[in-house]
Amino acid sequence: MRFNEKELISLSRQPSEMAAELGMRGPKKGDVLKKRLVKLVVNFLFYFRTDEEEPIGALLLEQCRVEKEDSLTFSIIFLDEAERKYQFECDSEEQCGEWIDSIIKASYEFMRSNLIFYRTEIHKLTGKDPLEQYGISDETRFQVSNGLQLKARETSSL
Amino acid sequence: MNDIVEINKATVERGRGVKMKLNERSVAHYATCDSPPDKTGFLFKKGERNTAYHRRWFVLKGNMLFYFEERDSREPIGVIVLEGCTVELCESTEEFAFAIKFDCAKARVYKMAAENQAAMESWVKALSRASFDYMRLVVKELERQLEEVQEAQGGVSCKPKSVRRNQAIRSRLPRMRHRPKKSGVAWCKGPAAMSNGSIEGASSCASWDGSEDSGIHMSTGTEGVRAPPVPPRRRGASLESPFSPGTGCFSKLHDWYGREVQELRAEWLESQ
Repeated sequence: MRFNEKELISLSRQPSEMAAELGMRGPKKGDVLKKRLVKLVVNFLFYFRTDEEEPIGALLLEQCRVEKEDSLTFSIIFLDEAERKYQFECDSEEQCGEWIDSIIKASYEFMRSNLIFYRTEIHKLTGKDPLEQYGISDETRFQVSNGLQLKARETSSL
Repeated sequence: MNDIVEINKATVERGRGVKMKLNERSVAHYATCDSPPDKTGFLFKKGERNTAYHRRWFVLKGNMLFYFEERDSREPIGVIVLEGCTVELCESTEEFAFAIKFDCAKARVYKMAAENQAAMESWVKALSRASFDYMRLVVKELERQLEEVQEAQGGVSCKPKSVRRNQAIRSRLPRMRHRPKKSGVAWCKGPAAMSNGSIEGASSCASWDGSEDSGIHMSTGTEGVRAPPVPPRRRGASLESPFSPGTGCFSKLHDWYGREVQELRAEWLESQ
């Protein structure tokens, strides 16, 4: 599948919500833990060799789940390939928790669900559509889907 | 021969010399899974190497623009990550042409053409607001508004308690089991209305039932409706909200970009 690599590389250089050196293990059997600079920018997780300017790769964080493996480790699992996990090892439990939290929120679909929730709540409480004043009420991206349930991002508890 | 030259050129241009990895299978899955798309339709896309326009089926989801060979193809041929792009009308031998442009050095310009004026306008609008940043801005604004409303009403906060690290990890934002009840609100059938990219905003939504005296109505260019905010591009801190650094101040951005939109509109009208 083709993708606009240059622009994605440029995106990886943007200010990020979270960036740190973590241990990263790929999804294939036999993949070993490697030290990587991991950087979260919008709904992409970029990973770099610590001394390189361009990322080795990126993970689009849609249609995935984040799980806590143990006190220092979390994994990202994509819904279409549930047997494969990308694992990340942190320096502390606190850091691990922060990453899990951030990655869950780093999904366009997750934000959309929240927006719809807020919109509905505000309308319930005030009788007004909060998007009306900006003239963006009609945008498809702000609508509830036609009966399909928007799946919230899941996390499994310990 | 040309292909080899292109590949070598790309290798030389890349800092690492190797193509960047992407979780392509999962990205393709996102394209075809049952999450509703923001827009779909046929568009003509100018080829990478040759100058011919190819008709492709496009699916916009979030900040990702997927394109398929045919409407019923099972996998996309490719995807354009739209984050940080601008969308402009452009000069072209093709009618109803527009371009997706990026700020980065040597970025490719994606030239596209729609099948009619309405489709072109609809796509330009949808694509220019497809960024994650824009969605985040609107979410934050509504989050703030909800807090205000809840405080004003002196009521219960909808937010769950803050996360405790040594227990189950949960999102800090409200849980999404909540579906809006039929409390006089009719929701539009968004995706069903979006075939062929030619449906205008006007027809896509039912109005809110509680609208007799609150003045809520379909906003299709009626008077008194403000220019919609143009989504922020990833720029420096000049429009940052003083209260939450790192985020754009919504009303400032709204005004600033609103002017930009008006200027663009004026220019475009003049060129017609």
